[in-house]
Amino acid sequence: MNDFQRFVTSAFTIAEMEARKIRHDSTELWMRTIQPALWLLIFGEVFNSLRGLAPGGYSYIQYIAPGVLAQSVLFVAIFYGITIVWERDVGLLTKLLSTPTPRTSVVVGKALAAGVRGIFQAVMIFALALIIGVNLRLDLLDVAGVFVVVVLFAMCFASFSMTLASFLKTRDRMMGIGQAITIPLFFGSNAIYPVSLMPTWLQAVSRYNPLSYVVDAMRSMLLTGDYSGLPVDMLALLVSTVFLIACASISLKRLIE
Amino acid sequence: MKAIEVSSLTKVYARGTRAVDDITFAVDEGEIFGLLGPNGAGKTTTIKMITTLTRPTAGSVRVFGIDTLRSPQQVRQMLGFVPQAISVDGDLTGAENLLIFAKLFFVDREQRKKRIQEALEYFGLADRADDLVKHYSGGMMRRLEIAQALVNRPKLLFLDEPSIGLDPYSKMQVIKQVKELNENFGTTIVVTTHDMAEADELCHRLAIMNMGKIAVMGSPRELKKSVGGDVLTVRVSGRKPESFPEDLGSLISSEDGVAKILTEDGEKAIPRVTDYLESIGATVESVSLSRPTLDDVFMRYAKTSLQQEGTFREARSARRSIARHAR
Repeated sequence: MNDFQRFVTSAFTIAEMEARKIRHDSTELWMRTIQPALWLLIFGEVFNSLRGLAPGGYSYIQYIAPGVLAQSVLFVAIFYGITIVWERDVGLLTKLLSTPTPRTSVVVGKALAAGVRGIFQAVMIFALALIIGVNLRLDLLDVAGVFVVVVLFAMCFASFSMTLASFLKTRDRMMGIGQAITIPLFFGSNAIYPVSLMPTWLQAVSRYNPLSYVVDAMRSMLLTGDYSGLPVDMLALLVSTVFLIACASISLKRLIE
Repeated sequence: MKAIEVSSLTKVYARGTRAVDDITFAVDEGEIFGLLGPNGAGKTTTIKMITTLTRPTAGSVRVFGIDTLRSPQQVRQMLGFVPQAISVDGDLTGAENLLIFAKLFFVDREQRKKRIQEALEYFGLADRADDLVKHYSGGMMRRLEIAQALVNRPKLLFLDEPSIGLDPYSKMQVIKQVKELNENFGTTIVVTTHDMAEADELCHRLAIMNMGKIAVMGSPRELKKSVGGDVLTVRVSGRKPESFPEDLGSLISSEDGVAKILTEDGEKAIPRVTDYLESIGATVESVSLSRPTLDDVFMRYAKTSLQQEGTFREARSARRSIARHAR
């Protein structure tokens, strides 16, 4: 086996480990669908009566469906840092790092597992959208494209979270920082309102908000069918994912020192 | 070839604590080597450096001739490691825990199934293989951990406090299995423990660490001898012994009908000493044997120096490390 094969095998093994855990107990996954469901059913329905909030003649609930999906994936991914701190605390991480597994595979494996959870979120939100009659472009290529974005985005923020965990080192701090990151990212993006409604300073900030790129990519596939912005969105996402995986791989060993 | 060669190994943590301070030792292939010492002595840090989990500040480690800094992955491929804290995943079944580790060690597909089945049977876990590990008892988890560390057939196995928190029966089982592993497969084993009786029973050779240094190293027998050999206390009446043949031991004192004799192997010496005393016309009324234990060795080399050198800062860092391990 060459180095690359070893890297891929171990990354998938770590992801498999997570997938098997989910198979044994999927309660957490189901609970995690409650929040996005509430966003769609309550927030979405209420603001649906306001005309003109969503641009391009779409209904508000149509407009926020991709945003809610992105947000729920963000929430799943950002707590991977807590998982890894917990695994350090119980001794699992030490054991994992004492195997020949490359450090990068540990990070990529965990990140892939976040992606698996993200896909589950996506499927549930699509199902809910169908049930309550939200009109989305659910053709095969677009859905596949959304899955790719979901997996990349989950990997991106799971790696970010693991990098943070390497420096913060305790579960309590990670809980605190998780909230402090997700909420500003969510409200400072185009997830639930168009950027054009924001004050100018926030519009400037939003340009550097990765969530905006993700929502934009999802919206182009699920809603508009206008792919002109897609290459930029995907490139931004891919670059930051690779960068954050590298960061987490380098900093991970801080957790066990 | 030596299984482990450690030379001038030093680890200084960011806060300035010298956890390991210029130690040099070697472990032979096929040996069970014990690393003992008080909390915060540097045992775990030493193991972490050998297993490539932490980078040494200075010095080098070779595992079967391979430098840990130059090829850490190659070194890890030869290792099995059972950390102090329970490290099996409670949310997976016993069999799955073994499967994942076999995969992480790149054991090929045909071998994998066979080894997992063997390990489960060897450690008496076969009938619970498909239960989630969180429903296992402490002893079963420990056995599963050792099984897990063995699926890659390691040449070198590290056990950090293998019997901590186990009931006497489970403890005995673990000790027995560790011994068998060493005998049947020739696995070199490095074990840390606070249990001196366990160390005495298990280890061929051991080192006692204190304040980041190796205080003393040798076989349990040598070490016990170094703090005084076996002492026979014999109560005699009739003729009192005044001199003693050298091959039986040496007479320390003989007063009021009580003779104290220092010997090498007390148990074997008892019948010979009695025979000798009877032959010179003394009547033996009672014999008692007291032999130094590894506890005495530990007290001599570890505890006293802790009292002598232990400053407030060092005590604090020892406590911190206890707290860290307890998490």
